Amino acid sequence: MPDFSLSPEQESLRDLARKFARTEMTPHAAECDRAARFPEEIYRKAYDLGLMNLNVPTEFGGSGLSLLDQCLIVEELAHGCAGMTTSIIANCLALEPILLGGTSEQKERFLAPFCREYHLASFCLTEPSGGSDAGALRTRARKDGDGYVLDGEKCFITNAPHASLYTVFATVDPALRHKGVAAFVVPRSAPGVLPGKDEEKMGHRASSTSTVRFEEVRVPESDRLGPEVDGFSLAMRTLDQTRTPIGALATGIAQAALDHAAAYSLKRQTFGKAIAEHQAIQIKLANMAQAVHAARLLTWHAAWAIDHGARGTLESSIAKCFASDAALHVADEAIQTFGGYGYMKEYPVEKLLRDAKLTQIYEGANEIQRTVIARELLRAYA
Amino acid sequence: MEIVVCVKPVPEAETRLRPDAAGTALDPEGVKYVLAGYDESAVEQALLLRESIPGSRVHVVACGPAPRTEEVLRAALALGCDVATWVDVPAASADEPLSAARALASAISPHSPDLVLCGKQAGDNEAGVVPAALGELLGVPDLSYVLDVRWNAGASRFSLKRASEAGLESWTVPAPCVLGLQQAWNDPRTAKLPAILKSRKAPIARVTPPSAAADPASSPRRFELPPPRTGAKMIEYKTADEAATRLVRALREEAKVLP
Repeated sequence: MPDFSLSPEQESLRDLARKFARTEMTPHAAECDRAARFPEEIYRKAYDLGLMNLNVPTEFGGSGLSLLDQCLIVEELAHGCAGMTTSIIANCLALEPILLGGTSEQKERFLAPFCREYHLASFCLTEPSGGSDAGALRTRARKDGDGYVLDGEKCFITNAPHASLYTVFATVDPALRHKGVAAFVVPRSAPGVLPGKDEEKMGHRASSTSTVRFEEVRVPESDRLGPEVDGFSLAMRTLDQTRTPIGALATGIAQAALDHAAAYSLKRQTFGKAIAEHQAIQIKLANMAQAVHAARLLTWHAAWAIDHGARGTLESSIAKCFASDAALHVADEAIQTFGGYGYMKEYPVEKLLRDAKLTQIYEGANEIQRTVIARELLRAYA
Repeated sequence: MEIVVCVKPVPEAETRLRPDAAGTALDPEGVKYVLAGYDESAVEQALLLRESIPGSRVHVVACGPAPRTEEVLRAALALGCDVATWVDVPAASADEPLSAARALASAISPHSPDLVLCGKQAGDNEAGVVPAALGELLGVPDLSYVLDVRWNAGASRFSLKRASEAGLESWTVPAPCVLGLQQAWNDPRTAKLPAILKSRKAPIARVTPPSAAADPASSPRRFELPPPRTGAKMIEYKTADEAATRLVRALREEAKVLP
């Protein structure tokens, strides 16, 4: 039988993240949401405590955690504020292509100085004309002498205005579709790297999202990750690694919604008793608890499988898809439990619904996750 | 300088407490044990002194049963303590202040520390006896309700502040001594992730004191939870003015505490 108990080490990591979320994130979550403020002081504190570059091995200055350990931390952070968590873990996504596709020289050159102090990085894959269809990139990488010239625009890029490093996917020939995609590491300081202005978002408003334009940006060949034709595969392998923590992030939102709803149901009185004593509310809470528990276990299982050497495409897609759907549903039911108060911005639950929505969209829309799940599933029957 | 800091595992503040089957102590089932706030301030003070005195070392000592005692020692190591000693005694002995002080003294005295720091009281039973008892057992001066300890190398004395009801006192105390620290004056640091991982692998010395029995004369006969509070009245309101008006009316007409 598998063992679902956490080791004392894992419990202490979770305690650290929980304490950070409760003391540093939760108290500022509503204010940052309202003002769409990017609380860099909180991100610096997260970096100082080792909560930022979770997937980077310790030899390069990261925390070197297993995927399961990362998920334990991400769930706790998301309980505090999903938007802040998205910005805190964006480095994991942006640096993963270097971890997976970089040579040891590139890892040493890019990761070590980056992780030595507080820096943000952005993963630049999505473009205005296509997100899910990642093979149809239009950003060009034109071969030029001993390097490349990048031209094009990326959109919905987390932390882009604040990042000092970008991992960029661009095509050497659009006609080659997936086989023409190459991956590059581009410093913010390179001439022609132009982050846009912050987008006004529905949720995750403590996070920063913008376009990035690359105008005639020269990149030496030594900053290309892996073979020229391997970029698409590298992007997909990156997302296989980082999809599961999105399941953990969604689980954190769902747990926060359940916590608020359950606590409120014990205080709020109708018809002469606490609404927790009404079966209608009990059934709601029971269903919410099931969804949270299942989301967490699917996330843990996917992380465990990947930590044990599986590619984990199926498991992580199931976890991300289920947990994000669960987060939206549980946040919705939390609002319903609060009634009219739940719809008011003065109470914390409507933010959870807005935050949950993004988890169904980013790092692979849930429709894509279901396509992947079906493809993996049918392969077993073919 | 050898600085010893004594810590005690206490239930986390959010724990739901209940008495054990015998009704004489807290039921440890499902309870998460952590460093108490007083002890966090003592550890922080020890680390601040180490940072200001070259060549000094912080040795954290705790008495109690496994695994809770190991957990708080590892928490202290993660904060930056150099070495840890676990004095293995039953929970009843760790909760009884005189036997706890004897157990701690037996582990501390072989190291001849220059300074012994404790929280001024335990975060759970709040007896406040251990610092004074330790001073007596180690044969050194002791002082409690202390904050802001500094080492005056020229005079070979510690200068410190002491918070009393009347105000803030300034003292100097010769080394070696035992000091009981006030809580929450020095903003205790948070352990960082790499230090937490490192602390899990750090060795912890285990010692057993010569006699570990709790003294029944200084142990509670019975432990029960306070009765649940009743009579609270929630005031419903939409505006602050309305809240204030209703509150004053309730205080005047119902509680009759206002004229």
